[in-house]
Amino acid sequence: MIIKVNNLVKRYDELIALDHFNLEVREGEIFGLLGPNGSGKTTAINCILSLLKYDKGTIEIYGRPMAPDAYDIKRNIGIIMQNVAVFDELTVYENIDYFCGMYIFDKQRRRELVEEAIEFVELDSFRKFLPKKLSGGLLRRLNIACGIAHRPKLIILDEPTVAVDPQSRRKILEGIRKLNEEGATIVYTSHYMEEVEEICTRIAIMDKGKVIASGTKDELKGMINSGEKLTVEILEFNPNILEGVGSLPSIVSVDYNENNNMLVAKSRRGKNNLSALLEYLRNNQINVGRIYSEPPTLNDVFLEITGKELRDHV
Amino acid sequence: MFLHIYLYRLKCIIRDKQNVFWTLMFPLILATFFHLALSNISNMESFTEIKIGIIDNEELREHKEFTEIIESVPDLFNVTYVSRTNADKLLEDGTIEGYIHFDGGLKLFVRESGINETIIKSFLDDYMQTTSTINTILSQNPAAIQDGLPDSLFDRKDYLKAGSAGKSEPNTVMNYFYTLIAMTCLYGSFSGLKEVTALQGNLSYQGARMNMAPVHRAKIITASMSAAITFQLLVVSTVLVYLIWVLKIDFGNQTGYIALTSLISTVTGVTFGTFISSVNRKSEGVKVGILIGTTMTMSFLAGLMYDKMKYIVHTKAPVLSFLNPANLIADSFYALYYYDTYTRFFSNIALLCGYSVLFGALTYLAVRRQRYASI
Repeated sequence: MIIKVNNLVKRYDELIALDHFNLEVREGEIFGLLGPNGSGKTTAINCILSLLKYDKGTIEIYGRPMAPDAYDIKRNIGIIMQNVAVFDELTVYENIDYFCGMYIFDKQRRRELVEEAIEFVELDSFRKFLPKKLSGGLLRRLNIACGIAHRPKLIILDEPTVAVDPQSRRKILEGIRKLNEEGATIVYTSHYMEEVEEICTRIAIMDKGKVIASGTKDELKGMINSGEKLTVEILEFNPNILEGVGSLPSIVSVDYNENNNMLVAKSRRGKNNLSALLEYLRNNQINVGRIYSEPPTLNDVFLEITGKELRDHV
Repeated sequence: MFLHIYLYRLKCIIRDKQNVFWTLMFPLILATFFHLALSNISNMESFTEIKIGIIDNEELREHKEFTEIIESVPDLFNVTYVSRTNADKLLEDGTIEGYIHFDGGLKLFVRESGINETIIKSFLDDYMQTTSTINTILSQNPAAIQDGLPDSLFDRKDYLKAGSAGKSEPNTVMNYFYTLIAMTCLYGSFSGLKEVTALQGNLSYQGARMNMAPVHRAKIITASMSAAITFQLLVVSTVLVYLIWVLKIDFGNQTGYIALTSLISTVTGVTFGTFISSVNRKSEGVKVGILIGTTMTMSFLAGLMYDKMKYIVHTKAPVLSFLNPANLIADSFYALYYYDTYTRFFSNIALLCGYSVLFGALTYLAVRRQRYASI
């Protein structure tokens, strides 16, 4: 186990930011910490890194208690903060070299690592640029380079794609996968469920300072009663259709969007839900156009467990 | 590791244009303004010869001894021999401050009353009194002329020898420059503030990243503070070079002690900044405001804006003089310039060292805390 957190409690006066928070991260995985803004993801990360004091609980990294002076543990950690943490007075190269130099004492080795980091985030043409000359996406890439240049075994990325253009986001996600393929264990926090779903091998969903569910994405989706989302274009709609579809045993809820003539039905977990719906429509001679079937998302998981949309908080 | 952090922090401080302006350019500009404004005060205080006219007539030629005496003091009078008509004209347009006319006796004409006019009158009174004394002695005891009495009567001896309390002439303008240097040293506090902000996880994102580095806190703090001190020493040296070589301000010739004062004062300034930055969690803007306010107040109380303030504080609230680092710095330069002994100088230096240790220790106590209550 790379990270093991037990019953972590962190209070800000009356507010409980972490409420008996538990977490286990295994070696070699990309672990996603998913939750709406304010759910406690960053607080959890800051406590794990010994930046924040906490009221109760234990934190172990590589099987040893994490502490501010646990330098041997820190040496193997790379951190990419939610906010860009670079010095405005230093160029791209100097920023990476400065932070890398905190971990790597050998100059020649450091030079190689800095070059690799620059190449990794594709900032070669910007190496002499000051941060204020970089776009938001490039800044984020510099932020990542500063955190990974020393080749850490454990990389923690706290919302690295906030306010990033789609192209840079794609590069960042590809980069994370590559780092993982090269052997690094990744902890990735985000409130973008699509990202987490796309790259993470295991996921913990947080709400109000607690992990409310964790597992692989399939395991998480398997925890809920909801099945796939069925979307059918109804060419001639009448209100009786809603009532009829809603009465089908495999359907949990149904809705109709007049703007695009789409009927959206959420099914229970189980097999042949789409066939049952189509059979009902055919039997009642209802003409249909396009038909889609989507498996449940992490938002559905969040919705079913907490009763609210994950997206509502974004 | 120390060198790595030190060099990069130095680079950051040097490239911070705002910091460079306030710590270096501002004192240089202020020094230039002081020089332009205060050099006139110095000039006003220096004595220049009094321009007088003497009416050139027969009676003057009969009093050769008067001409000899008045021409024997060229540092006091700048004499022009003129006619009566020209004398009136020169007096009217201010070319001369008075004229002397032998016209049935010695007469003085002046346009207004003032110090120079009083000096001319005193000189003439002295001359008339002495000649009257000689005439009286000659009428009663002509033999006295053989004993050289008239010469001894005109001979002026100083029976009291004036001594200076210090090795240099008093100069009220100097204190402005001493205080300016004190202010420059204390402006090192801005670099100190910047350094603490850069390494505190609860003050900056960069600080949070620094907290994650596997480097001992004391090493980072020492390297960062050393960078700030180095930069400020360069600044103070530049200001001193500008004052001494460009503006020709005389600081005496005790280079070693001046360097020592600059070093200790800079350390005090930087540690003062790190202390202010580490003990409160206000925004950087507020902290800069606090530093500007405190350094300016300290410099004001040391006499930056009003030279008598140093004396007022010293007499009305002497404790403040010892609590105020700006005053201690300015006073160290003052003591070096004026005093033959080093007691006062080393007392000031000892107090400055004490403050540096105190501020540095308080900074370390505040900054060594590596886990924060909130970020």
